[in-house]
Amino acid sequence: MQLSQELIQKVIAEVLAEVMNGAPAPSSAPEAEVSGIVCTEKGKAARGTDPREVVVAVTPAFGTTFTKTIVDVPHAEVLRQIFAGIEEEGLRVRVIRVYHTADVAFMAHQAAKLSGSGIGIGVLSRGTSIIHQKDLNPLSNLELFPQSPLLDPLTFRAIGKNAAKYAKGEQPTPVPTKNDPMARPRYQGLAALLHNKEARFIDRNKAPMEISVTFEG
Amino acid sequence: MAQQKRSKRFEVLENRAVHKDGFIGEWIDVGLIAMGSPNDPKPSIKVQNGKVVEMDGKTRANFDMIEQFVADYSIDTSVAEEAMSKSCLELARMLVDINVPRDEVRRLFGALTPAKLAGVMAEMNIVEIMMAMQKMRCRQTPANQAHVTSAKDHPVLLAADAAEAALRGFVEIETTVGVVRYAPFNALALLIGGQVGRPGTLSQDALEEAFELQIGMRGLTAYAETVSVYGTESVFVDGDDTPWSKSFLASAYASRGLKMRFTSGTGSEVQMGAAEGRSMLYLEARCVMVTKGAGVQGLQNGSISCIGVPGAVPSGIRAIAAENLITMALDLEVASGNDQTFSHSDLRRVARTIPQFFPGTDLIFSGYSATPNYDNMFAGSNWDIEDVDDYLALQRDFRVDGGLKPVSEDEVIAARNKAARAMQAIFEEFGFPPITDEEVELATYANGSKDVGTRNVPEDLKAAERLMKEGVTGIDVAKALAKRGFRDIAAALVMMMKQRVSGDYLQTSAWIASDGTVYSAVNDPNTYQGPGTGYQMSEERWNEIKAIPWAVNPEDI
Amino acid sequence: MAQMNEQLVAEVVRQVLQNMNGKAAPAPKGGKLTAADYPLASKRPEILKSPKGTPFNELTLEAVENGKATFEDFRITPEALEMQAQIAESAGRRQIAQNLRRAAELTKVPDERILEIYNLLRPHRSTKEELEGIAEELETKFGAKVCAAFVRESAEVYARRKLLRGDLPSSD
Repeated sequence: MQLSQELIQKVIAEVLAEVMNGAPAPSSAPEAEVSGIVCTEKGKAARGTDPREVVVAVTPAFGTTFTKTIVDVPHAEVLRQIFAGIEEEGLRVRVIRVYHTADVAFMAHQAAKLSGSGIGIGVLSRGTSIIHQKDLNPLSNLELFPQSPLLDPLTFRAIGKNAAKYAKGEQPTPVPTKNDPMARPRYQGLAALLHNKEARFIDRNKAPMEISVTFEG
Repeated sequence: MAQQKRSKRFEVLENRAVHKDGFIGEWIDVGLIAMGSPNDPKPSIKVQNGKVVEMDGKTRANFDMIEQFVADYSIDTSVAEEAMSKSCLELARMLVDINVPRDEVRRLFGALTPAKLAGVMAEMNIVEIMMAMQKMRCRQTPANQAHVTSAKDHPVLLAADAAEAALRGFVEIETTVGVVRYAPFNALALLIGGQVGRPGTLSQDALEEAFELQIGMRGLTAYAETVSVYGTESVFVDGDDTPWSKSFLASAYASRGLKMRFTSGTGSEVQMGAAEGRSMLYLEARCVMVTKGAGVQGLQNGSISCIGVPGAVPSGIRAIAAENLITMALDLEVASGNDQTFSHSDLRRVARTIPQFFPGTDLIFSGYSATPNYDNMFAGSNWDIEDVDDYLALQRDFRVDGGLKPVSEDEVIAARNKAARAMQAIFEEFGFPPITDEEVELATYANGSKDVGTRNVPEDLKAAERLMKEGVTGIDVAKALAKRGFRDIAAALVMMMKQRVSGDYLQTSAWIASDGTVYSAVNDPNTYQGPGTGYQMSEERWNEIKAIPWAVNPEDI
Repeated sequence: MAQMNEQLVAEVVRQVLQNMNGKAAPAPKGGKLTAADYPLASKRPEILKSPKGTPFNELTLEAVENGKATFEDFRITPEALEMQAQIAESAGRRQIAQNLRRAAELTKVPDERILEIYNLLRPHRSTKEELEGIAEELETKFGAKVCAAFVRESAEVYARRKLLRGDLPSSD
């Protein structure tokens, strides 16, 4: 597994720029960079009624400030795989952007509560993901993928697929858990750095927005 | 950067394990700093009519929920002005001065503010912190805790590993899950395996708070630990609690006669992106005070799952020892971390454990991995079962009681087999998916989950759900075991259930001996006051530690 | 002599309290318990019993097998919690004693309701009125006065710090 040199450099450069210039933290999501996806906000996210949908929640920085996960999976690829996983089970997907928290459990729970099927997925920019169900406690979950460095495109597809199966009332075999005890010493400090960047876009007073996602190229 | 001619020395160094670890410079604005941030508040206190009206430079009207809670429930206002008038240096010296008894330190520290506690720690070097730990930990006799988990959540393997961990001397065993819905089976496996290895072993299941309480009430676990508190208001809320909800939860546990401790640790707030620019240790001091105010007997801290954060910044490992010490100085049991992978470097791994291992704490590890780390579902511990002979050697090298004892292969195999067979019997009694003789055999001789097969997971999950729905209790398990001829394990389970009637193990730093007797800070208080006092290893215990099976005996040659 | 008087006063107070709410913890013989009585299981087993009144030493595997002791027996009583609170106090641990006394009040609240109340006390779960309703229930239905005051206090703090249901844009 290759440590994302580029990502570290980018974050450190941004941090340094902020520290040197004392520039204020941006108060809302900045303009999209080249991420392979274009996200357009369609207004406040509403509660769905379609029992055949899964709602995916992303953070403000997902696909904008950040364009790939901690191990360089492009955000476009993350969503493409999750969508494919859901769609191959014959279900629909809706995407929301959550502003009031960057806690992946609460994001996923929010998605679940807005989902017509009661099933939601939360994804952080660095890749950390959860499958959630609306009647569970926010910090409980159906499946949790806490170790972002271990999440590859196929895992994202499997996450989408299992979420769709839960939405159909099935009891799928959970996505095999990966465990790399050495991911923490290598990545956790970096993950903290990234999360502090992510958390700068939190707006405790802003409701979740529904977004449409278009893939480029 | 142009490619230069490289030094062979530096190329060798770059390939060392330590270079795989993440090291990060301080970022003060967001609180990516271990101790002594310039943004930390300055210590202060004003008490009027027994109420704190100002603390650490903030007036009462502006207190956030944490500040209000610790001001009203944690700080001893009758001592506050006396204690706060002492300088940080003076208080730091009292911590290490053998002529100042533990009780006097405890009296004063119970009246300090979070900023003052962090300030006192800033005056101490790592050896002084260790000296203070030796004096300040609540219970005199040190002990240890193990993680028992499985990458496959394999119930038979879990029971076998639990039995071995208990046999090796861990007084507490903790599990968590790969798949959340396996939790009831993991709890059952540790409950049974733990009592097979050594009656009195306390077992717990680290999960979502409400679920933990539920299985505790049922008697499927003996205590709880993963009841997290945080140092900033917004992270506390992201953790889905407040000091009031957490205190209510603590009382709920006690109302069922169940032991519990809270969990916190440096780095969690900055990891969640909301440290408000404060240092990790200052925020941790607030967590320790929330625990104290809630009337909870103890705390698991030492960064815990966030170790990669303080581990990456300067003075981070010193800060972790300091947070353990704050906990002891506030008269709380401490389960002192060392429970998460922290470094690729074996040298760093050992050094990280020294501050708790040499002075001794209530639980030196709050999870020594009793399985290989690939099976550790807490994402790995700082030490795992494959390091255990090194650990036994260190106890012997330094004549230190680290809580473990040498064991023979035969007794380990016997205990693992018995636990696996007991699980087999229980699954059959309860009508759960059968455990085959082959599974028993594989679990008995396994090192890890790679050595056992894969169970039918959806069927197991259905049965685990049934266990919850049907309200199976610890007493049901005891009855079934007795029926199947495992009377000694059944009797041990009943003995454990009795603990929740007497409530003896609700007192600070309690563990349970094989005969059911509880030892805690009440009947085994730390009396350290310099050489020749405090914990003195018995001759019997020293002989046990000395007897590592692979040592050559002069008389045999 | 002085000690005798203290015990006498303690006894009178206890009786008055008992008359007031009819269920104050009984006095262990010889006044308040101290660290010297600990552990109760080996030093004072005669003063311990199960909620159904089974003496502590009769809680055995045999009793479980023949049905004389059931799961409901393996629960702490408010009296035992008060004893442990006294022991904690005598060891200088004021806050632990407070927690054990809140716990003594909660012994009467059923498991399900305790879990519900805990979840309702979590942030953004309840309105101020709902929290006050819980306090009322704790006080009147279960005689849990200290816990009721604690919940009322949480309602004040949650209101001031915007932690009530409806304080988030998305809480629904």
